[in-house]
Amino acid sequence: MQELWIVQHSWLIPLLPLIGAAIAGLFGAKFLRQQSHWPIWLGVGAAAVMSLTLLFQTLHLAGESEAPAGNHTAMSEASEGSSKLSAVKDFFTWVSVGDPASNNTADHPQDVLGNPGAHFEVKAGFFFDTLTVIMLCVVTGIGFLITVFSAGYMHGEEGYWRFFAYLGLFIFMMCCLVMGNNLIMLYLGWEGVGLSSYLLIGYYYEKPSAREAAKKAFLVNRVGDFGFGIGIMLCFVAFGTVSYFGPQVGSHTGLLELAGGHLSAPQQHYLYWIPFCLMLGAFGKSAQFPLYVWLPDAMEGPTPVSALIHAATMVTAGVYMIARCGPLFVQNGTAMTTIAAVGTFTALLAATIALRQFDLKKVFAYSTISQLGFMFVAVGALCPVAGVFHLMTHAFFKALLFLSSGVVMHAMAGELDMRKMSGLHRVLPITNIVILIGCFALAGFPLFSGFFSKDDIVGAAFHKHWIFGALLLFTAFLTAYYTFRLYFRVFQGPLVVPEAPAPAHGHGHEPDEHATASQSAIETHTAPASGVDVGQAQHAPLHDDHGHGHDGDHNHEPMIMMLPLIILAIGALFAGYLNFPGEWFAEFLGKSPSLQQTFKIAESVNHDPHLAALFGQPETSHAGHNWMLMLISGLISIAGVGLAYVMHLRDRALADRVARGLGPITWAIEGKYWVDQIYQGTVVEPLRLFGKLFAFVIDRFIVDGLIGLAAYASWAWGYFLKLTFQRGYLQGYAASMLLGIAIILLVIFFR
Amino acid sequence: MSELSFLQHYLAVGAIMFCIGLIGFMTRRNLIVMFLCTELMFQGVAINLVAFSQYYGNFGGQAFVIFVLVIAASEASLALALVVLLFRHRNTLDADAWKELKG
Repeated sequence: MQELWIVQHSWLIPLLPLIGAAIAGLFGAKFLRQQSHWPIWLGVGAAAVMSLTLLFQTLHLAGESEAPAGNHTAMSEASEGSSKLSAVKDFFTWVSVGDPASNNTADHPQDVLGNPGAHFEVKAGFFFDTLTVIMLCVVTGIGFLITVFSAGYMHGEEGYWRFFAYLGLFIFMMCCLVMGNNLIMLYLGWEGVGLSSYLLIGYYYEKPSAREAAKKAFLVNRVGDFGFGIGIMLCFVAFGTVSYFGPQVGSHTGLLELAGGHLSAPQQHYLYWIPFCLMLGAFGKSAQFPLYVWLPDAMEGPTPVSALIHAATMVTAGVYMIARCGPLFVQNGTAMTTIAAVGTFTALLAATIALRQFDLKKVFAYSTISQLGFMFVAVGALCPVAGVFHLMTHAFFKALLFLSSGVVMHAMAGELDMRKMSGLHRVLPITNIVILIGCFALAGFPLFSGFFSKDDIVGAAFHKHWIFGALLLFTAFLTAYYTFRLYFRVFQGPLVVPEAPAPAHGHGHEPDEHATASQSAIETHTAPASGVDVGQAQHAPLHDDHGHGHDGDHNHEPMIMMLPLIILAIGALFAGYLNFPGEWFAEFLGKSPSLQQTFKIAESVNHDPHLAALFGQPETSHAGHNWMLMLISGLISIAGVGLAYVMHLRDRALADRVARGLGPITWAIEGKYWVDQIYQGTVVEPLRLFGKLFAFVIDRFIVDGLIGLAAYASWAWGYFLKLTFQRGYLQGYAASMLLGIAIILLVIFFR
Repeated sequence: MSELSFLQHYLAVGAIMFCIGLIGFMTRRNLIVMFLCTELMFQGVAINLVAFSQYYGNFGGQAFVIFVLVIAASEASLALALVVLLFRHRNTLDADAWKELKG
């Protein structure tokens, strides 16, 4: 891969979106205004084209490297192939501290604490392998689709240029994250996407809730980043480098290869703690328990932001990091189990909360947390292939779902409450179809992409321990249920739209003065039970003005917004077949040196014959797909959809009755288990108090007091001098002169 | 050279005159009397100079004393003119009248 033009010029991939962002940022306000999307379309589009080209070139190379059959063993074939399928490209040395001549090889790793000759070096460079290529395509591809959608969605906004500038910045940072060839480049991108997330969540900065949400996202992320930073430092202390593979795969100078080699006793000790520190970062960025609380609040940002950052790309950075740095994790079985356990717990927790959410975007936010939990279980159960596969399919269908919610929100003039709308398939026909595809994919319905990827994960979970698998199956059931609860409520059933426009979510549209007269336009869960009839009687003004805050006949589904949705829907439908029935995706991904290294170490630690399949490695006996598991998970998904049909289409009041019947459980779920309140009480308020203590007591009295004391001392000395030496008394002055002369004479004569 | 004891006596007289002048300057309040005391300090120094000149046979000391006397005289005229002016402002010869320069 090293000699490819795109790899040699890979600085273009992140830089073009950044330049686009700079142009939009500097010239957008005055000059570009509503055309500010062009620099971003061009920049991100170019990056997407390059990423896809790179993908095809890599596929071609991968096909080539499999051609020479013969008497190579599976492993050497793979490693031969992988050295063609990986590339390290350094651009310049970013940080270089210490003595470059010091010996930083695998034989003599330098310990900073004891050795003055240690050398800390960070190169600004990229690492390319199949994992990078997949992530790049997801990021830039879905990023580009979302920039297209946003041009339609954010049309007319005051801060149009600001939105696109931040979006370009985000794509730049995300590219650095996935392409970086050392932990510090990863961290640069990590922090950078956190910054972009803050800027974009706080896009509607005039709303106090948006400001608070942006701060919350950044600060909670920071907690995770603290652990991550410590992990990186530990890596350097243990191995003397932060680079993944050094100048080349196979040189055994990079972290990921050193970790698999011979380890001294202190290194083994560090390697026990490194996974725990690094996973804190992953938990923060990917919204796992206990650092998930920022993601639901992040829905304050514009919907394309929620789609891109908080569903498809940024939140998957944690999964990517664990997949990439697998060799650092797998030696510690406890850490892997912790990851899997936290993932399972989070998945279940978030799914239960989603059952009683009524805001469209919040349902999908909790769903994202839950699906990320699935991905973490996958990597924790030693199956990064399933994790990355689900990452990819999830990116497609979750972005699709969020963008569809955006279309709904636009059509409903900013209203997002499920209880206030129904039967929208009449108003938004194209959206209805694409969101149905997305919902099937999310629910893991057989034959859609989500089914295959989720199935892989559940299989890996069962392989680790039956309890993980069982809990994930139950979560899958809940997922199917709450997804179709949303679909059946909002898109099927009698047509109901909100009567008056909700307070604008920053729209360019003016609030309309129309208000429908019918009281029953406001839906609670006790809507009339009859399933699918149109119910014309209860909604009179359907035919004249849509009854919601727009003036005139408005196309709610402009092509600029629908085209990305359709493309995403195609992905959501067919992406699953990349790994079924032939395991092409797994094989392709398995050629990544990260996965190969991880597999090598995992095999020596676990002695599990089935591990090869989980890592996409060529194996001696092909295990085949687990048909029994597919059948069970398919049935569970269908059951979830069926239950949702019964409770939200056939008899809508049933859901409410069940909820009331399960009183205390419902109360806990609707309170979201009071996690936010617990944080408020145990963390936020004590910190505030601490801050107040410092501001109003220590700063005011002690610090300011000390300064006042210094000023007072000068004044007091002056006063003393004034009283003693400046009396205006002529003889007094003569006496002082005499005193001075006497002292001088004494000094001279008695030296 | 003259005998040692004589020099010491002369120096003692000079020193005593200087000290009396000094103490007088610092304790008296009348401007003219204060000036008188400064003249006394001058004369004390002059006696010392003459004594040394006689002791070492070097006439430089005596020449310097002539200078001192001339300068003292001219300075006296200036100082008394100043005193008269100061008196005209405050109508008193008390040095304490000019304590505004304190602080």
